[in-house]
Amino acid sequence: MQMKFRVPIFDVKNLNFSVGEQNILSNISFEIFNAEYIAIIGPNGGGKTTLIRMLLDLEKPTNGEIKIFGKKLSSFNQWHKIGYVPQRASHVDANFPATVLDIVNMGRTSQRGFFSSMSSEDNEAVKDAMEKMDIYNLKDKMVGTLSGGQRQRVMIARALASKPEILILDEPNTGVDMVSQKSFYALLKQLNIQEKITIVFITHDIGVIADDIARLFTINQKAIICNNPKQILSCEDMSELYGIEAHLLYNHKHEH
Amino acid sequence: MIEIFEYDFMQRAFLAGIIIAVLASVSGTFVVLRRYSMISETLAHSALVGVAVGLVAGFNPLWMAVVIAILSAWLIEYLRSSFSLYSDAILAILLSGSLALAVVIVSLGGAFNNSLFSYLFGSILSVTSEDVTVIIIFGTISLGLLLAFSKELYFIAYDEEVAQTSGIKVKFLNFLLVTVVAVIIALSIRVVGSLLIGALMVIPTIAALQFKVGFIKTALLSLVFALFSVVCGMTLSFYFSLPSGATIVLFVLVIFILSLVSNKK
Repeated sequence: MQMKFRVPIFDVKNLNFSVGEQNILSNISFEIFNAEYIAIIGPNGGGKTTLIRMLLDLEKPTNGEIKIFGKKLSSFNQWHKIGYVPQRASHVDANFPATVLDIVNMGRTSQRGFFSSMSSEDNEAVKDAMEKMDIYNLKDKMVGTLSGGQRQRVMIARALASKPEILILDEPNTGVDMVSQKSFYALLKQLNIQEKITIVFITHDIGVIADDIARLFTINQKAIICNNPKQILSCEDMSELYGIEAHLLYNHKHEH
Repeated sequence: MIEIFEYDFMQRAFLAGIIIAVLASVSGTFVVLRRYSMISETLAHSALVGVAVGLVAGFNPLWMAVVIAILSAWLIEYLRSSFSLYSDAILAILLSGSLALAVVIVSLGGAFNNSLFSYLFGSILSVTSEDVTVIIIFGTISLGLLLAFSKELYFIAYDEEVAQTSGIKVKFLNFLLVTVVAVIIALSIRVVGSLLIGALMVIPTIAALQFKVGFIKTALLSLVFALFSVVCGMTLSFYFSLPSGATIVLFVLVIFILSLVSNKK
């Protein structure tokens, strides 16, 4: 009988991160597989962003091991497989000379050679990413003139232009209104289901995402990996995680 | 107007000036977007140390300016990436330190003369054939490198961290950018002068940014502004016997003011 093993996208073992004497993250271990839909929650200062930055090789762990697509972080070079949307993505320098197309084209930079103009494959990937994010009609607009929600879509389109297998988003809804937030999460879920893109995102919108997520990572110095998010989304657990008395209000979808 | 080109020195000066306008505006676009505007001033003062060493020791001041400016650029980038120092503080320290060192060197060597004055403010009379050759060779290499990595430098200017996570060698390209800028500044001081080259590098791009257009159009506008300023400034410099750097920078300033006023909301 032939055994088929799944290689995780991320394989994290015994990860620690400290600054001086202070432990930011202690003994974190988890795996992230293809086409998963994962939310990361936790209090501010709990180490969520630090964890993501270590996954992206922007911070070095104090000790522990991270493998991406089966390779050690130091020898991994296929970074176009990973799309990243940082926390401040929707806060754009209004004076920066960039149209929406300029920004989304950036997503193809690492796949293009020196002096090379955009190939038909590059143009196709950029157009496809803009259409998925419903911003193709904005392509010639200056990015500084867009609303927070539109900018957020531009940043995700840039990440999608490299045809990533995983999309990592750090509090993508910061500075975005409630209506845009809901349609944003619907869009993420759609990318996950239709395009089979693994989605990992940091959020505080626990009530909004509770129905959709497959796994939940709760990070507050230590990690609790929960395969059944409903299990941990109790008021007691939340109170313990955030260190305050928590009351959860769910925004359940209506079943038809 | 045609009579200007009857003189060999003006032909050399115009050729050097046009190359410098192209180099300064293209590199200046990345420098401004990267929030590195002050680095051009600092490197120009560092280049002056090279000029001082060259004048006193009898070497070609332009070559020495290139070498010292590159070493200074690497020092700035090393200090910026390896120590918890504020970038603007590093630039301020090196700027005044370089100027002080240059003044001490020329004083000790007794080289305070018209030659030094021309390196401070630019002089179209002083551009030699050898200078033009050096400017063409290094200018071509610098422009080639900037164009080869233009899309990466643009991405880094917009978001350094996201550029890094997409596989771009950010640290290497930061070093490359400051090195190329150092070379361009050193090449430019013959025509524009070390005290004024920063303005030619930065102001055309800032003027172009007022039009709020995409990257390519901004870079082209900046190039047009720099070329116009250099040609007009050098012509004025010829007819009124003025330092070329000062007249060029005054033209750039007028363009900036007009851009600002015409694009006011």
